Amino acid sequence: MAEKSPTINRRKFVADGLRVAGAAGLFGAAGLLTMRRGGEPINNLWQIDPNKCVACGNCATHCVLDKSAAVCKHAFRMCGYCNLCTGYFEPEAAELTTGAENVLCPTGAIVRTFVEDPYYEYTIDEPKCIGCAKCVKGCIAFGNGSLYLQIDQDRCMHCNECAIAVACPSEAVRRVTAETPYLPKDGDPES
Amino acid sequence: MKLQPPTDSDEAVRKPNFWMMLLLAALVVVGIGALWFLGDPSPRRGGLPRRFDYNLDPYMKIDPALVRYRQDAVVPVRLYDLRAIAVGPDDAIHVAGDRTILVFDAQGKRLRRMDLTDAPRALAVDAQGNSFVAFQNYLLVFNNRGETTAQWESSARRDVFTSVALGDNGDVFVADAGNKCVLRYDRSGKIIGKLAQGDPRNHVPPPVIPSPYFDVAVGSDGLVRVVNPGRHRIEFFTPDGHHETPLDWGSAGMDVEAFCGCCNPVAIALLADNRVVTAEKGIPRVKVYSPEGRFESVVATPEQLGATPGREVETREQHKLLAVDLAVDSQDRILVLDPDAKAVRVFVEQNTKDAKDTKDVKNP
Amino acid sequence: MMRPIRFVLFAVVLLAAASNAALAVERFPPPEFTDHALPTTQFAPARPAFIQYVDVALLAGGLALASYLALARRSRRGLFVLSIAALAWFGFVRHGCVCSIGAIQNVALAAGNANYTVPWVVVAFFVLPLVFTLFFGRTFCAAVCPLGAAQELVAVRPIRVPRWLEHALGLLPHVYLGLGVALAAVGTAFLICRYDPFVGFFRLGATSAMLIFGGCVLAIGVFVGRPYCRFLCPYGVVLGWLSRLSKWRVRITPDQCIGCRLCEDVCPYGAIEPPTSALSPAARPAVRGWFVFFLVLLPVLIAAGAVLGSHLAVPLSRLDPAVELAEQVWAEDHGLTHVTTDASDAFRNTQRPPEELYRAAQSQRVKLAWAGMGFGAWVGLVVGMKFIMLARYPRQTDYEPNPAACVSCGRCFWYCPQDQVHRLQTTKDTKNTKTAC
Repeated sequence: MAEKSPTINRRKFVADGLRVAGAAGLFGAAGLLTMRRGGEPINNLWQIDPNKCVACGNCATHCVLDKSAAVCKHAFRMCGYCNLCTGYFEPEAAELTTGAENVLCPTGAIVRTFVEDPYYEYTIDEPKCIGCAKCVKGCIAFGNGSLYLQIDQDRCMHCNECAIAVACPSEAVRRVTAETPYLPKDGDPES
Repeated sequence: MKLQPPTDSDEAVRKPNFWMMLLLAALVVVGIGALWFLGDPSPRRGGLPRRFDYNLDPYMKIDPALVRYRQDAVVPVRLYDLRAIAVGPDDAIHVAGDRTILVFDAQGKRLRRMDLTDAPRALAVDAQGNSFVAFQNYLLVFNNRGETTAQWESSARRDVFTSVALGDNGDVFVADAGNKCVLRYDRSGKIIGKLAQGDPRNHVPPPVIPSPYFDVAVGSDGLVRVVNPGRHRIEFFTPDGHHETPLDWGSAGMDVEAFCGCCNPVAIALLADNRVVTAEKGIPRVKVYSPEGRFESVVATPEQLGATPGREVETREQHKLLAVDLAVDSQDRILVLDPDAKAVRVFVEQNTKDAKDTKDVKNP
Repeated sequence: MMRPIRFVLFAVVLLAAASNAALAVERFPPPEFTDHALPTTQFAPARPAFIQYVDVALLAGGLALASYLALARRSRRGLFVLSIAALAWFGFVRHGCVCSIGAIQNVALAAGNANYTVPWVVVAFFVLPLVFTLFFGRTFCAAVCPLGAAQELVAVRPIRVPRWLEHALGLLPHVYLGLGVALAAVGTAFLICRYDPFVGFFRLGATSAMLIFGGCVLAIGVFVGRPYCRFLCPYGVVLGWLSRLSKWRVRITPDQCIGCRLCEDVCPYGAIEPPTSALSPAARPAVRGWFVFFLVLLPVLIAAGAVLGSHLAVPLSRLDPAVELAEQVWAEDHGLTHVTTDASDAFRNTQRPPEELYRAAQSQRVKLAWAGMGFGAWVGLVVGMKFIMLARYPRQTDYEPNPAACVSCGRCFWYCPQDQVHRLQTTKDTKNTKTAC
């Protein structure tokens, strides 16, 4: 390794300088990109805007997960607590019982409990829910629209490009911030 | 010898043989084929089995033989959020919406406009042209020149006024969906009674009202018809609050004779002979029942009211379910306020004689 | 001391109330049960933020360790273990998102769309390997990238890809990079993520097309070393350029090359280039002639590419949901089709005027025309540069890895007799070398 020639040394020095400048430039550009807060905040989670959702069912089929990250949520403050819940019973349900032939949810993920006459409460058994939005359709078609889809941030893989967002016909899936990971239909659940 | 590099080891790069090439070519073809499907984000790819479909289409179609009304006119209403319709003297059509009341003559010509400071929920107009306009929790009375003559408050906590109906002797019935009862005001604005509030001591529950649709109407017989939407029923009360239970009628079901969904009808209106016009949400349809509650005919079909097959969910603002409101004028024309089309649809009975005939044949 | 806290609390409550009011639907009050509290909707918490710091720290640490193992320790075994660790963490634990390859698109989108703010983690994933490559060569590919690691592990029966094919296929990643950046910059699609081969394996579940594609890449990878890295990976293109400029990089031999040609046989990635003999004086003018010809041809190719590329707006816009929707709505309105799509139904429901949609689609198409032009020019540049590089006649005396193609895997170390001698000299303990195979 002969490093005696002054021209080689000078060349090496210049090359090193350029490399350092290049690295500094890269870091600088990176800093510039992250610091630029003129536009949107950092939206790095995916979520469904329930007011744009048309319950098409693509969430269930297009998520990269076998069991979609989209699950049904229930806005309890919007629910009518009906005996005849159109989000729970098939349109042509013969009887208002929990029999499988009357129940709308194909995976049996909705739990119906009697509260007091004439009210029934409906809760989602989320591990069973696959986000097909059938109940959402039934609820919105006749009722108050208290059933709606949200992306479960625990199930979500946080893909760089959400496959559901690509397949969504109404552009209802968008990026949200880590501070507001959900877009609940009845506003802030705490208040 | 330990240091001899393993030149013919497993790791050394080798020359491909024919089978290897064939296998590679096959893999490349399959891989590119998979890419083709991978890049296709078209909706309903693969799709879900049929049991995941929610299909109301069969109920959206109505046997044309049952339709005995035809649309006579459409009066466009230039409001964004249409709420209520009522008929005043000379069959003037009053429409409430946004923060406005628009008044049209019977032919649909716009007569005047009244601006309000709040969003109206319901409306009734008496024979003198006084308008009773219900807001979320109070009532304003306007004279026929559009001047406010009174403001009626309610003392209750959770008021959601949804309907106003005018009775005999200056009674004003106001449906309060929030407190699940009908308030009876006298002409001075004093609450002189409550109807349909249930009777806990005798285990009579109040009406079931899951959504802000709770209508009231007064018939020529003086009885007050109160909708119990959660039980898909129309209930009869005397003005002083006695429940005429035997007269109640209505049943739940998707079929055209019944009231569909979880809570219907959303609106009622009475024809001169106390036959009942009903409006439903979900499967938007307007129908006529006999005073006793026998299904007679269809006025407006889901198709006419803008329901599209295969489209149960619509991205209306906030998914707010807008329902039609009804009124009947002195000629028994049925006025349907269609919030989707932003118009008043005017329906008249077609071939009155034929219709009567068939009805008589059907129910001798 | 209590006051500021109270104020903050108050402000939070106020903010919550305000946001609630903004969301407030005309809500109908729920029933008041006599003996039952209204339940609250449960939401699973979002991932904790600290895991992102862990990711970036592990990335930086992994890069440093890989560089140390490849350049200082010259330890193939160490790199192998590290790549398994990278595959486990960045692949199976973190499910392959976000990765440096995909980060290209976020950066491109941030450059093209002033409103988009790219998360700092993504920027870190984009920049850190670049900086390391500028100094140490492609050590990221060796043992940090989970995609590279997966392919490294399966490359057990490598065959030699013919040179001409290698050169031809080597253009693909450049085209892919150009397309990915162009589409990401205009916000149409994240193509590189959509065609990620292994992310389905990392998540232990995906569509069958995804699994078949990934399986094919892996199966091909058994015979053709690192097929994704060499013939598709767009990030590898960027790393390749920087690697040409790197200060240090993997050398096959620690000492003098004795020209034994043993290493040439062992690189599964075709990265080792043999020494060249001096050009005969007779051939020199011809080589120089070609070189000059291709140099002159370069701007012509770029211009031609740009012109051709600007016509790509229409096919590219097929990938754009807004343009596709506008075309569908247009076709429906003009009686060209009677079949509506979910998207067009959804659009009709919003009651937005179609003109608004057409305007948005039009502006998107203009953007896509520019992106297509840039993409075409880029392809012209890449093809032209390829010709120029082929026409060059670099002098090389040793067997050396091509810096752009070498992924620093370290397979060649063990095959170099000089390396073994070197090891014997420097370490008395032969345990290292024995287990290296």
